Amino acid sequence: MLDTTCLDTTYSVETPEGIDLRAQAAGPVPRILAYAVDVFYRTLILAALGIALAFADRAGWGIWFLCSFLLEWFYPVYFEVMRGGQTPGKKAFGLMVVNDNLTPISWGASLLRNLLRFADFLPVAYAAGVICMTLGRNFQRLGDLAAGTLVVYHQPEKPHTSLPDVAPLAPPRGLQLQDQQALISLTERHADLSEARQCELANLLEPLTGKRDKEGLHYLRSVGSWLLGGK
Amino acid sequence: MELSNLAVHARLRSPWESIDLGIALARRHWWPLFLVWLLPAALLFAACHWLLPDSPNWSLFLIWWLKPAFDRLPLFIASRTLFGEAVSVLGALKQFFAQNRRDWFAWLTWRRLSATRSFDLPVTLLEQSSGAARAARIGVLHRKHASAATWLTLTGFHLETFLLMALLGLIYLFIPEQVQIDWIPLFSSGAPWFEWGINAFYLLVMAAVAPFYVVGGFCLYIGRRIELEGWDIEIQFHRLRDRHQREQKQRARQASRAPAAAQLLLLCAVAVTTAISIPPASAASAETPVQARETIDEVLAGDDFHQVEEVSGWRLKEIERKDSEFPEWLIALLEWLENRPVDSDSESDWGPFIGLLIEILLWATAAGLLAYLLWRYREPIRRSLQLRRQVEQKKAAPETLFGLDVRQSSLPADVCAEVLRLWQSGDQRASLGLLYRATLSHLIESYQFEFADHLTESECAQLVQLRQQHPAQSTGQAEAQLRPVSAALSGFVHQLTTSWQQLAYAHRAPESARVQILCDQWREAFGRDH
Repeated sequence: MLDTTCLDTTYSVETPEGIDLRAQAAGPVPRILAYAVDVFYRTLILAALGIALAFADRAGWGIWFLCSFLLEWFYPVYFEVMRGGQTPGKKAFGLMVVNDNLTPISWGASLLRNLLRFADFLPVAYAAGVICMTLGRNFQRLGDLAAGTLVVYHQPEKPHTSLPDVAPLAPPRGLQLQDQQALISLTERHADLSEARQCELANLLEPLTGKRDKEGLHYLRSVGSWLLGGK
Repeated sequence: MELSNLAVHARLRSPWESIDLGIALARRHWWPLFLVWLLPAALLFAACHWLLPDSPNWSLFLIWWLKPAFDRLPLFIASRTLFGEAVSVLGALKQFFAQNRRDWFAWLTWRRLSATRSFDLPVTLLEQSSGAARAARIGVLHRKHASAATWLTLTGFHLETFLLMALLGLIYLFIPEQVQIDWIPLFSSGAPWFEWGINAFYLLVMAAVAPFYVVGGFCLYIGRRIELEGWDIEIQFHRLRDRHQREQKQRARQASRAPAAAQLLLLCAVAVTTAISIPPASAASAETPVQARETIDEVLAGDDFHQVEEVSGWRLKEIERKDSEFPEWLIALLEWLENRPVDSDSESDWGPFIGLLIEILLWATAAGLLAYLLWRYREPIRRSLQLRRQVEQKKAAPETLFGLDVRQSSLPADVCAEVLRLWQSGDQRASLGLLYRATLSHLIESYQFEFADHLTESECAQLVQLRQQHPAQSTGQAEAQLRPVSAALSGFVHQLTTSWQQLAYAHRAPESARVQILCDQWREAFGRDH
């Protein structure tokens, strides 16, 4: 359940089976930077190619122009379709391109969104794309809107966090999903939040737990540890 | 600062996601943010135009340098909006100097070129800290988010330039071809009005980008604080506590009603049994749902539900048996090939070996072909093995059909006598039912009919008729052994089925004479089997 009154960048799709899929739409700043990284890589490749082909005179120039054309238009397509929606630049920023139903991007959609970079480029320097991205609800540029695609954050595997050393305790009845998630979050972040702040948070639940400060915190951590599967 | 009024969803975010949230927030409130940035700056720009008409670029540089001062009002509005407090543009503009009082000199001198400007500004403006306290705070905030804040500033800077180019480019694109403009003197000699115009556009672009930059940095700061202070946890704990207290109040209300009823009951009880005085508390304890639930919880937490049983015994270990990848015979073959006496003639050395290899391949192909053929024609082969088939058939004979027991053993010795006796005693249904199931039973046993479960009565009768009409074509593999059906039997089955259906489903009993005839026919058809 998501509070719809609160502003967020979450993009959600409901499948026919009634399952809510969620992803975090990626905004203009990381996307511009990812694009810059890609441009950098492409420039490197073209420079290397230019040096290698310098000896081939006019034929070399021809090949170089062909390669630069292919690189400009099909470098993103290749990576988006064959490498899980991530060009090297997007990978560096943890972004990936997906269809707007959150399935992996298809050839057609990828070709369309990349050929329409032409429209996003207008009048110069991708101004139309940046403005469209900034104003759109899901940060889609024109090519994305036409191809029905979306750039979202690739959710990395959560690194294993160390849990506090407490004996797990069964939670009281009547905890809803979000309550349980908050308790788990408190347990997992025991090393990041200051001890005083954690006691303060634990005191909020005094009417429920009947305990204060260290004791209350210890109890909440025990419950969180139980919810995380400690037995 | 009331966290429950937070206008954004509090959760842990990566720095980039925080910036995106800032973009979304700035987009929602863009107009007021744009105006409070633009109006003071435009005022200064106009003043410069009037005072220093010959130095448009210096004027623009002055405004650019004063950006931290202009950034404060959008930040002020955004911070109020985040906690659900609306601030009007006019109200914010009146605050311009009040908001710029703290640390203005530092921000306009050595902190002007700070790469994390929009991320650090909230510390000054909202936390009102300066000096050592500020340095310590910034140190904590920067630990994880400094790089994203720097990239945000760099992106914002480049974006301003690119958007200005785009704006000028757009205007250029819309100049009709017929209008001839001599661009060279405009750029080289620097006509003041031209430069003022371009700078005015730059001012507009700065004002348009500023809300996104300022609110992006602000949300980055908020994201860091959510992470550091567990805002998401606090908000959820508040909700949980409120819900808990509401529920408790409700329960208390119910509980206060329950003992009253209990005491009323108790009064009656006391009136009836005046001898014993029951303590009211113990009577009420079982009554209230709260206390009952507590008892349930106690029982659930007790030993009865937490029994641990230890079982010990011997069992086989699951040893992973790793078979050799090559079968024994292949190794033996290779060894034999290797140890074969080598011919003295070295040229013909490979000949026999290749010959042998081809021979093996041919044999393997032949074996494979044979296996394939066996598999391909497995059905006809199985059919030709009739012995197995018949055993299966015997086994498959059904025991009940349409809810009737059709085993031979369930029938009386003299079926017809029993049928007539039942008929005369008035149990017509049992009588005709017996006759019908005796018929089915004999059809299955003596004529090897395969009545499947899904067939109806009429379909069974049709099967009998079918075999009578086409004895050779009837289904079944062992045709020669199937007993042919006479026309009389087929007719009898048809009549009996009709009579039985009439009685069983329509409750229309046949005449007694007809039952007599059916019995006679039955004797004729199956009498010899006994």
